[in-house]
Amino acid sequence: MASVTISNVGKAFGTMNVLRDINIDIENHEFVVLVGPSGCGKSTLLRMIAGLETVSNGEVRIGERVVNDVPARERDIAMVFQNYALYPHMTSYGNMSFSLRLRKRPQPEIDQKVRDAAATLNLLPFLERSPRQLSGGQRQRVAMGRALVREAQVFLYDEPLSNLDAKLRVVMRTEIKALHQRLKTTSIYVTHDQIEAMTMADRIVVMNGGRIEQIGAPLDLYDRPGNLFVAGFLGSPSMNFLKGRMRRTQGKAYVETEGGIGLPVSAATAAAENQPVICGIRPEHIAIAGEGGLPVTVDVVEPTGPNIEVFFSLAGQNGSAVFTERHKFRPGDRVALHWQPEHANVFDAETGVRL
Amino acid sequence: MLKKSILFWLILSPLVVVILFPFGVMFVSAFRPREELFTYPPTWTFSEFRWANFAEMWVKTNFGQALLNSLYVSVLSTLLAMILSIPAAYALSRYRFPGKRAYRTFLLMTQMMSPIVLVLGLFRMMVALGLVNTLNSLVLTYAAFNMAFTIWMLQSYFSTIPRDLEEAAWIDGAGHLTSLLKVFLPLAVPAMAVTAIFGFINSWNEFVLALTMIRSSDGFTLPVQIYSQVAGRYQIEWHHVMAATMLATLPVAIVFSWLQRFLIRGMALGAVK
Repeated sequence: MASVTISNVGKAFGTMNVLRDINIDIENHEFVVLVGPSGCGKSTLLRMIAGLETVSNGEVRIGERVVNDVPARERDIAMVFQNYALYPHMTSYGNMSFSLRLRKRPQPEIDQKVRDAAATLNLLPFLERSPRQLSGGQRQRVAMGRALVREAQVFLYDEPLSNLDAKLRVVMRTEIKALHQRLKTTSIYVTHDQIEAMTMADRIVVMNGGRIEQIGAPLDLYDRPGNLFVAGFLGSPSMNFLKGRMRRTQGKAYVETEGGIGLPVSAATAAAENQPVICGIRPEHIAIAGEGGLPVTVDVVEPTGPNIEVFFSLAGQNGSAVFTERHKFRPGDRVALHWQPEHANVFDAETGVRL
Repeated sequence: MLKKSILFWLILSPLVVVILFPFGVMFVSAFRPREELFTYPPTWTFSEFRWANFAEMWVKTNFGQALLNSLYVSVLSTLLAMILSIPAAYALSRYRFPGKRAYRTFLLMTQMMSPIVLVLGLFRMMVALGLVNTLNSLVLTYAAFNMAFTIWMLQSYFSTIPRDLEEAAWIDGAGHLTSLLKVFLPLAVPAMAVTAIFGFINSWNEFVLALTMIRSSDGFTLPVQIYSQVAGRYQIEWHHVMAATMLATLPVAIVFSWLQRFLIRGMALGAVK
């Protein structure tokens, strides 16, 4: 097992820069998730770590070794592909033992390792089946098994769950996390699904447009997003963004909207008086106010089961709130809302950076 | 469903008749005694199922030698075309290189030219190489003519084999050659088989080039040998000609009908993606 260090890495296809100035230090045993919308360069970065794409500039290190010019087969990494990439002409056993056979390991050792991995992944009854005789979840497990028998320095996952149905995805998510807790192999996991990122990662790297937006522990990013992109990307339903200008009176701070409504924010924010800002508040932090709350009009009510999601308009801007209580709202109702000032985030309206 | 297929058969039946008619004539003539060849009005029946036609023909037309020549030329030219096409098709489907588009267009364009147009030039080339009147001249030209098609066909199939599989093999510790031999090529076997059969049939049936390049009768391939039984003779032994044609057609027909399911699958594979 090893650390992975990515310093000033960039990638250009012709004249197009798809990655710029990427710096990530991944520690030994860490589970890091690269997350971002499609086209943000996360898969390209993973393929560069794997050795399947060349590094245009900067340096990729696995352990102490610079691997920029080391071919994939000598990097001692294992990778799980999005479409599994199982060898269709080999059985599950053949798929899992392929790397060991290439290394000319003795047959008893190969057998032992494949059976151990298969037992871990509940694959023992399926070892003699070919990939097309397996279900999606079983194929996924074989692909994991192929990585497991390697005992590689680093595991790379390229959106491994995106081909599975919703239920299986949740099961496999937990299995992968449990596996990592047991084996502690350094893992880099690429996904566009922010819930996967939140639930699995030790640290999340949020990427957008070929750059890193923010790196941090899941709850840190969720509670204190560094900019509007991270704030909007993590969380479902996503954070409300309400425009206004910064005001301070009597030691209290608030964001005044166009209609003159004051949205409570923490006084600790660095925003200057009268600065155009965006107030970000998570739907679950909004509660029903008794007296003197923020007046909103209910537009749509969506019960999800555990929660009720209420879409509202406040001074001409749209927002949503999530309640666990069974409120009986109807479209058109006037409701008063409030939130704790420390839950609100203040972003610069121009740069989108947290203030 | 049934109605529809009956309708289709009705529409197609004239075509079937046109295609099967020459085979019918060939079959009947090949088994008839010589005297019944020109009965008038013509009939489809024969008084005797005469296997002896084949035995006589075999000796008289030197069929064995021609068969060997045809096999030699077809097998070798197919092998040569495949050996050269597989890497070319692999490169076309996997790598970016300058002139790739131009190369593909060039391949397509060579298919639009009739070999007859090129016969003179090819003949002069073979004279210069000292290969005229040798079977190897046919091996070379057939391989060259088949390659455009085989490269095109293999390339479209190769592109359907996911790149991930090779990448997975590299990560598993395989070099380029190992991943090619152990992962890529085993998956490409159906396509290679289909393409090889196409090449083989093309070479087996080719006539114009064989007629031009081969000057002496012991080098004749089957189509030329059979033709020589008809052209420039006072008396044509039609029952021998037809027996020979039938023997020449049979192996290809058998191979073709056996492999047609692969053939259709192979061609559809390129089309679907």
